[in-house]
Amino acid sequence: MFRNNYDNDSVTFSPQGRIFQVEYAQEAVKQGSVVVGIVSKTHAVLAAIKRNAEELSSYQKKIIPIDSHFGVALAGLASDARVLSNFMKQQSLSSRLTYDRAIPLSDITSRIADRAQTNTQQYGRRPYGVGLLIAGVDAKGPHLFEFQPSGVTQEMVACGIGARSQMARTYLERHLDEFESSSREELIKHALRALKESLSQDKELTVDNTSVGIGGLDESFVLYEGQDLTEWLDATFENREGGGDEGGDAMETDS
Amino acid sequence: MTSIGTGYDLSNSVFSPDGRNFQVEYAVKAVENGGTAVGIRCKDGIVLALEKLVTSKLLKSGANKRIATVDRNVGIVSSGLLPDGRHFVSRARDEAAAWRQQYKAPIPTSSLADRMGSYVQAYTLYSSVRPFGVTSIIGGWDAEAELPVDGQVGSGPKVGSGGKKEGAKHGGPFLYMIEPSGLYWGYYGAATGKGRQIAKSELEKLNLVDGEMSLEQGVKEAARIIYIAHDDNKDKEFELEMTWISAISGPTKGKHEEVPKELREEAEKLAKKALEGDDDDEEEMQE
Amino acid sequence: MNHLPQAWGRPRDDVYGAYDNSHFQTAGPNQHTQSPIVTGTSVVAAKFKDGVVIASDNLASYGSLARFTDVKRLRKFNENVVVGFGGDVSDMQYLDRLLNSLDIRENYASADDPLNAKNLHTYLAKVMYKRRSDFNPLWNHLLIAGLDGEAKPFLASADLLGTTFSSPTLATGFGAHLAQPIMRRTIPDEASVEKVSKDEAVKLVKECMKVLFYRDARSMDKYSIAVITKEGVELSEDEKLENQSWAFAEQIRGYGTQTA
Repeated sequence: MFRNNYDNDSVTFSPQGRIFQVEYAQEAVKQGSVVVGIVSKTHAVLAAIKRNAEELSSYQKKIIPIDSHFGVALAGLASDARVLSNFMKQQSLSSRLTYDRAIPLSDITSRIADRAQTNTQQYGRRPYGVGLLIAGVDAKGPHLFEFQPSGVTQEMVACGIGARSQMARTYLERHLDEFESSSREELIKHALRALKESLSQDKELTVDNTSVGIGGLDESFVLYEGQDLTEWLDATFENREGGGDEGGDAMETDS
Repeated sequence: MTSIGTGYDLSNSVFSPDGRNFQVEYAVKAVENGGTAVGIRCKDGIVLALEKLVTSKLLKSGANKRIATVDRNVGIVSSGLLPDGRHFVSRARDEAAAWRQQYKAPIPTSSLADRMGSYVQAYTLYSSVRPFGVTSIIGGWDAEAELPVDGQVGSGPKVGSGGKKEGAKHGGPFLYMIEPSGLYWGYYGAATGKGRQIAKSELEKLNLVDGEMSLEQGVKEAARIIYIAHDDNKDKEFELEMTWISAISGPTKGKHEEVPKELREEAEKLAKKALEGDDDDEEEMQE
Repeated sequence: MNHLPQAWGRPRDDVYGAYDNSHFQTAGPNQHTQSPIVTGTSVVAAKFKDGVVIASDNLASYGSLARFTDVKRLRKFNENVVVGFGGDVSDMQYLDRLLNSLDIRENYASADDPLNAKNLHTYLAKVMYKRRSDFNPLWNHLLIAGLDGEAKPFLASADLLGTTFSSPTLATGFGAHLAQPIMRRTIPDEASVEKVSKDEAVKLVKECMKVLFYRDARSMDKYSIAVITKEGVELSEDEKLENQSWAFAEQIRGYGTQTA
């Protein structure tokens, strides 16, 4: 049943000093649909591909606003992400209540990292099967953090996780130097293009399967979905087929 | 490694017939692949340095600090599994806070090392947990002067606390290194991680036992040693992170702080120069 | 013989008579602090255009006895905030340690985003309110002075009941009666803060300290004063009231030994 004797649980090291259960949990992240995040000097953007189980079902939630100053995007087990995001909401609110202060993003990130680490060192628990991108703005400006099931967290300039996310990361690496000085709109375009890179050939970004979350120095973190995305999608992929059809609706929506 | 597969290495807290705890040995393997970390105990302070391998271009440079502060006067740098290192630091901070609750004074570095040694050792005792996948270097400066008790609001009695020998030296710099087994020693110079062998042999050349190394010199040596230890790994980029702790009268006023940017960059410049010098020597010898 | 646990280790009833259990119960409900023991008196503070001035004397009284004469009741939290403590000194020391541990933790997480005076006031108000709701108050009246998130002068109080209050000038204890009216002559409202310079504010607060020394029997003439601005905290803990004039005392009639 097992690949080897050392991958039954997360409290056993392999002779090489690896913990297979944790590595397998990282694989669960790669099963999730792709999400990307980018920061500029003024904004932090998250963008995600939503999947639906079947034609008639709704789409999976990929971006969760946590507090007015930040949100998270997830790849992997959505129910694990819900546990973590509920915890983050509690911590975030408690910071506002106790200190009247928006919780620093590095702070909230390390709090979930510490929780995740516990799951890799005690028997009878399993690592979280989800990766998160935490993006928003605090007193020190815009930030983007990556969280992995192992409990590793890293501050990034740009990041992509989930299925085929290597393609998105390649795009991001290629345009790395442009991000810092990008405007809000440019940043969104970059995020959408990176997302598109990870999509298989026959798929397109549509108002149904895309999510965008934006936070900025003077704006709260807001989640954009559905018709709110039309203008951005059209502007980003000008020459795509059928793109123009949805354009008309967009003018009537307010964003 | 002869006993691998005989089943005694599948669970923590189990001895093999020849008296080994394999899970602890495997945890050490996790450490051996981590970035090199060194600590130097100088005459007037402690230097901690870490080689941070840059795993992705997308990482924000200069962020992601890994050498942590405990209380105000202690620094911890770990090599191995990053999340385990954070767990270790978080426990150390709890210990330091608990000490303050009890004694209304900062924890001496030796006591912190002792408590953390016990904590790490406890993770080798039970099959329900795994050992720490880190080796941690703890460096601290214990105040040489009589500190006010926490919460003290007046000047207090003119004589200090009792039990002290007239003219004896108190406090100073201290350095310890704790292994996954919970074993710890005090060090003049400590190194762990991938490049530890090279780093150790460099540290041995410094005559740290004499206690003559100044803090500023220690900073330069630490940077140089990290650069040398990294040399085998040349194709990978890395960032050097350095912190220090001086006497109350020194540059950090008894606190654990990041080495100022200018000083670090100067040390890095010298380190690179020293490396180039070495390469030239080798080429000459080959000729 | 009685083997019930409550009889373990107790004298035998058949030898020594029935055991007197009365000391097991207290006479009434649980009681916490009913009154402070060693106390500090007034703290006075005033905002000015670039920051806040705060002062308190260095006396800790034991009832009417001037027991400790070098007690520093202004506590610097970090480079941006000073807390002034009136009321029980041991509770002040407890809070001081609490703030110290908070500061240590705060430095771990976000050294370049320190808690400002507003954050600290919110926190302390929560602590005070929690304790009074446990019927176990910290017997203090605090003034928190510093700058808020927008780097504007911030001054607010929190007391043993968890009550909070903010004003351009604040004073605790006797100062609330004696110093507040004097300070309000110069700084009647938020708008007038802009017109007051640092020197004027310092002079005003020092003047209040003098009046308080004249009229408050639990005060002394050695005091601490702090100025908090964008540049940080200037704290002096060794000030002495200058230019005292007790001539007015001659005119006081109505109590004490008088011949005329």
